[in-house]
Amino acid sequence: MKLKNNQSRTFLRGRTKVWLIVAGFIICLIFLKSGKEVISYTSSDKYCVSCHIHPMADQSWKLSAHFNNRTGNIIHCADCHLPPEGRGYLFAKAKHGLKDAYGFYFKDSAKIDWQAKRMLENAKGFVYEKSCLRCHQNLFPVKLSVNGGNAHLFYTTSKEPLTCINCHLNVGHFDKNAIHAHDTSFGVSVTANQALFTEPARIEKFENFSEKIPGTNVAFEMVAIAGGTFKMGSPESEPLRKADEGPVRKVTVSKFFMAKTEVTWDEYLAFFRATGSQGRTEGQKVIKKNVDAISGATPPWGAPDQGWGKGKHPAITMTWHAASVYCQWLSKVTGKKYRLPTEAEWEYACRAGSEAPYFFPGNPKKFTSAGFLKKFFGPDTAIIASRVVYKVNSPSKTKEPVYVKENPFGLKNMAGNVSEFCSDFYSPDSYKTDSITVNPKGPSRGQEHVIRGGSFKSDAKDVRSAARDFTKTKAWLVTDPQMPKSIWWYSDAIDVGFRVVCEADSVTGS
Amino acid sequence: MQNIDRRKFIGKTALAGIGLAGAGALITACKRNPDVKITGLNPILNGAPKGKKLRAGLVGVGARGTGAAINFISAGPDLEIIALADVFQDKIDACRERFASFKLPIPAENCFVGFDAYKKLMALPDVDVVICATPPQFRPEHFLEAVLNNKHVFLEKPVAVDPVGIRSVITSAKKAEAIGLNVVTGTQRRHQEDYIETYKQVMNGAIGTITSAKAFWNQDHVWYREREKGWNDMEYMIRNWNNFCWLCGDHILDTHVHNIDVINWFMGKHPEKAIGYGGRHRRVTGDQYDFFSIDFDYGNGVSSHSMCRQIDSCANATGEVIMGTEGYTNCQNTIWDLKGNIKWQFLYAKDENGNPMNAVKIPPYVQEHMHLVQAIRTGNYVNEAERTAMSTLTAIMGRTAAYTGRLITWDEIFKSDMDLGPSKIEFGPVDMVFETPIPGTPVTS
Repeated sequence: MKLKNNQSRTFLRGRTKVWLIVAGFIICLIFLKSGKEVISYTSSDKYCVSCHIHPMADQSWKLSAHFNNRTGNIIHCADCHLPPEGRGYLFAKAKHGLKDAYGFYFKDSAKIDWQAKRMLENAKGFVYEKSCLRCHQNLFPVKLSVNGGNAHLFYTTSKEPLTCINCHLNVGHFDKNAIHAHDTSFGVSVTANQALFTEPARIEKFENFSEKIPGTNVAFEMVAIAGGTFKMGSPESEPLRKADEGPVRKVTVSKFFMAKTEVTWDEYLAFFRATGSQGRTEGQKVIKKNVDAISGATPPWGAPDQGWGKGKHPAITMTWHAASVYCQWLSKVTGKKYRLPTEAEWEYACRAGSEAPYFFPGNPKKFTSAGFLKKFFGPDTAIIASRVVYKVNSPSKTKEPVYVKENPFGLKNMAGNVSEFCSDFYSPDSYKTDSITVNPKGPSRGQEHVIRGGSFKSDAKDVRSAARDFTKTKAWLVTDPQMPKSIWWYSDAIDVGFRVVCEADSVTGS
Repeated sequence: MQNIDRRKFIGKTALAGIGLAGAGALITACKRNPDVKITGLNPILNGAPKGKKLRAGLVGVGARGTGAAINFISAGPDLEIIALADVFQDKIDACRERFASFKLPIPAENCFVGFDAYKKLMALPDVDVVICATPPQFRPEHFLEAVLNNKHVFLEKPVAVDPVGIRSVITSAKKAEAIGLNVVTGTQRRHQEDYIETYKQVMNGAIGTITSAKAFWNQDHVWYREREKGWNDMEYMIRNWNNFCWLCGDHILDTHVHNIDVINWFMGKHPEKAIGYGGRHRRVTGDQYDFFSIDFDYGNGVSSHSMCRQIDSCANATGEVIMGTEGYTNCQNTIWDLKGNIKWQFLYAKDENGNPMNAVKIPPYVQEHMHLVQAIRTGNYVNEAERTAMSTLTAIMGRTAAYTGRLITWDEIFKSDMDLGPSKIEFGPVDMVFETPIPGTPVTS
């Protein structure tokens, strides 16, 4: 009996083992199969679209070259938005999946700034270069154009990080405003039929005036800014300041006129039309300052206004060089001395008498969106939102000046909207080293220029009156496929512009 | 070249483009691994292999073009010239006569004249191979047209006269590679057995690490033509193309590019920058210099002194010298140690009398066509266009350094928008000023 029992147990054990193995095998198969199915189902277009309810992601994809093309091939969501399988696919899938799930359950889709997500720097986070190149293996197809050839040569030889979507941002999601070419018709048509100004404004005394550009119907407001002495820079006690804003020093500026708003497209296009060249002068700085022969910008690459509209919107993406040639031209046609503001003039005008972080009351700590708690409670926008176009209230684009209130000097958009060129070279320690305190002009030499005021992309802390920034010529021209690159247009900076100042001298009644 | 093959996904392209030899050899040279197998060198053949009949069209039927066409048909069996294109009828007639005298008539309907003649020739479906031998100004557009028409290509050197043309050639080279079109260029030193064997020695460490180089093409004056009655501006310039920079690129390209190409080949890279001098004393026509002296800086203290001159009754010679830590070489056939003792010599074949000949058995001008035909017939792919473009651009960098007096960097010249010549190519008056460049002239717009 004992023996028998033993035998049967062995027998049972053997059978159980086999069954267990078989069952395990089947379960594994089911898991594998369903796992694979789950993975492929959750990477399908249908699944993506079921959650991604942001406006027109689905539709813009269907209108794009990756869907609506001659070949009939459809490139699916996961083909671009995940790396190729076996090359970080599952990891990226888990990462994006968690983020999407979080967003889906805890965020209000209507409050998400989808426009911002489409911008290049954000898109780089969820479009995979490896995936572009998995399909696009031949970068030199026989019918590739000369510009395309140059651009791809540039891409393959560039030492700078350069991605496919630097140039091909809209291939997956159609954007009717995107132009991927030299826009030779840019700003050429004059639509208004109003009478044209024959003469510039005449100034009898030092007070606000309206400048008129002769030969156009464009006018803009200039504000008389009385000279004075102010504390330039931010004290160490100012929240969220940076080291280059100090030390605070007393600076005196003489009186001058400053434009009420940033230079608008209307104003800039007047210059563009009057001086635009087909240009073989790319890459060669204009040395001679002969104002009789101002040679202006070449046709821009793509749409410099980003399709946001021209008119009263601030002109953007022109280079510092282009902005200074604009001032030369404006001086020539008006007979006055227009130029870019010095950094001191700019800050003086921005502060408009205030020594606080902003020209209005408020604490940068409360306004900023940075910080863990802000994710749940949101930043304080009470005062700032009606005075500054910044990250929180801009739908990732510039706004017309009418949107904001003016500062005590009567200037608009000093803070926010677009960063503004100053005439000074940038140096992080210039406040420390500069001994000139009356009308300082910044370091005598340098590479990049000061930009001030922050932009529609900026956090509240970067639109403080003392916040400093500078041009990044190389990074702002990464995508420009021309060789050499344009000296007139930045290909990769959509939030810089400028405002002019006019000198108070005998011509302007002083 | 360093820059070009940065991206791994086009690593293959770049490698082929810059000459497999260069890249592979550079690595081996660093490792100093004796007797490594050096891959990617051009094969030395006794004749092109048999295979499908290959019909070639010749674009640019002047002296070198006709020569190249004869070299092509001499390369092996079943090779024909079936079409001609040129801008001058008299050149076509002369070339046809020449071929007729070999009993190899070229049908009149396949002979095209004019600035668009090359398009008509390349549109012929029977043409398998195109030999591009016009003045180098036209090479980039001819090469592109050939690639668009799926033709294998032989490109005479230099391959362009300006950076815009160079980028066009590199782009076309990559397009050709993508669809398997073979391209051989007329840098014949790379097809000479003696050079190749010397190169192998150097790569195996025979002269140690390269420390400097010298390249020279100093010769008597070259041909020129005075203007004849009835010639308009364009006709005169093209008939005298060798003396106009926009057509020829100056002689630092036209001839000296051979030496420059050898130095780039042995160095395994192109120079980073150039400073140089040049001038004009004796030339009769055109706008070019008659001497150049350029310092090409290859980085890490390694320079190549490049000189070329076209003036009679001077100390004239052509060649290259490369200096290493353990010896030096003339690149062609001999390696010396640092004391001047011969360490190695290439053994040339012997003539009937048992004396060694001073040249390789098969002329390199024919050898390069054997290579092209072999590549087409065996599928052993070749594409030399990009590396020859890089050497031509090296010469352009030197020329620009001499013309302007400025330091010219590779990055600047690679991206330059310099585009020589009139905007419209047609017979008639040409509105151009031909001033000999004066160095030190400030850049104005």
